[in-house]
Parts: sequence; structure tokens; C-alpha cells
Amino acid sequence: MRNRVREQRTQRGLSQAELATAVGVSRQTVISIESGRYLPSLPLAFTIARFFDLTVDKMFDPDDEEAGT
Amino acid sequence: MTAFIPPRVPPRLRKPAWIAVAGVLFAAAWLVRGGPLWWVSIPALIAAPARAAYLYWGAGQDTDAGALAGSRPDERQQQLSLRSRALACNLAVIAAFIGLTAAIAVKATWWWPFLVILAIAGLGYLFGLLNYGVTEAGTPDGLDTSHQTRSPVSS
Repeated sequence: MRNRVREQRTQRGLSQAELATAVGVSRQTVISIESGRYLPSLPLAFTIARFFDLTVDKMFDPDDEEAGT
Repeated sequence: MTAFIPPRVPPRLRKPAWIAVAGVLFAAAWLVRGGPLWWVSIPALIAAPARAAYLYWGAGQDTDAGALAGSRPDERQQQLSLRSRALACNLAVIAAFIGLTAAIAVKATWWWPFLVILAIAGLGYLFGLLNYGVTEAGTPDGLDTSHQTRSPVSS
């Protein structure tokens, strides 16, 4: 599962700690999501996607091997 | 009559408070036991607040362990804690089974505490299945039989 969290976060000039505060998780969890080590729950996936004004399938794509790298 | 409202313990204090209380109880047990080893209660009494203070300090750190110690885990940290506790429980059950088997084999009289541990673990597992919704699996294809009306064409 690839995601575009890091790409979107850096585009908006946010730190991992700022994103973590905005979506209500720890900085360590943002790091784990960005690196693909942790798959967020559906509510958290929606929260992250909405924060970046994207849909969940744009943010988290099981078939996209390129995005988020 | 006013209802009793328990005081709200700040999240960062919860685990240190439990550790301190458990340590004091452990020390009190040695003291009540008496005998030549009563002095064990003294280091136990010193270690309890020291451990609690260390945990309180750790709870302020920006780490996964700090979030767990401070009772403020997010969903990933909760999952970490849950999996770690499940692993610890599995290991405890394996150890209890080995202890029970060994105690039976050597005809020891101390076999029953192992059986108690295994029984608690087994009952706890069954209670967990019931409590966390194994009975709410529903019917296949989403058919809800509780609202099913009698067919006008059936006899």
C-alpha cells in the first residue's frame, strides 16, 4: 500500500509534528504511515485525506507502487 | 443523596500511581509476613516511588513508550500495546502449561497455581470473545431474521 502523505505534507511545508497535531496522532505514527510500516484505520485515513482535500483513494492507493516514494 | 464522583486522575499520573500503589502493597505484604525477611519491605517501599517517578518522567517523552506510559496512545500505539500484551499473555500461558506438566510429572503439590493461571486465561479469552462481539456476526448476506415476516404463500 503506497500513500502520498509525505508528498502532500512537504508540498504544504508542514513538519511531521504539525501534521500529527492536525490529525490527532503522534509524530511517530505519522512517520510510520509515511514509510508504509503502518496502515491507518479507516477513520484516520479519512481524516488525513480530508486534511489534504483529497479523497481516500487518491491518498492511499493499494495499486500505486510509485506514489509516496 | 449525591452520587460519588471519583476524582479524575490526569493521564500522565495514572500508570505511575498504579505502580506506586502496587509497590506499597507489595512492601506491606513483606511487612505483614514478618520474620527475618521483614526488611525486604524497605527496599520495596523505596523502589516503588522511584519506579513511579521514572515512569512519570518517561511519560513526558515524545516516544511510543512515553505515550503508553502517559496513557495517551493513538491508534497505532494502542495496537502496539495490545499486541505486546497478547504476546505476554501467550508466553505466560505457555509457561504455566510447562509448569503444570512438570509439577504433575514430579508429583509435586504445587501444580494447582499453574492450573488456576491457565483457567483464568481460558475464561478471560472466552469472556473477551463474548464481550467484544463474536455473537454479533449477523446472518449471511445481511439477512435479519428478527424482522422476517411470514410468507403469505407458505403453509
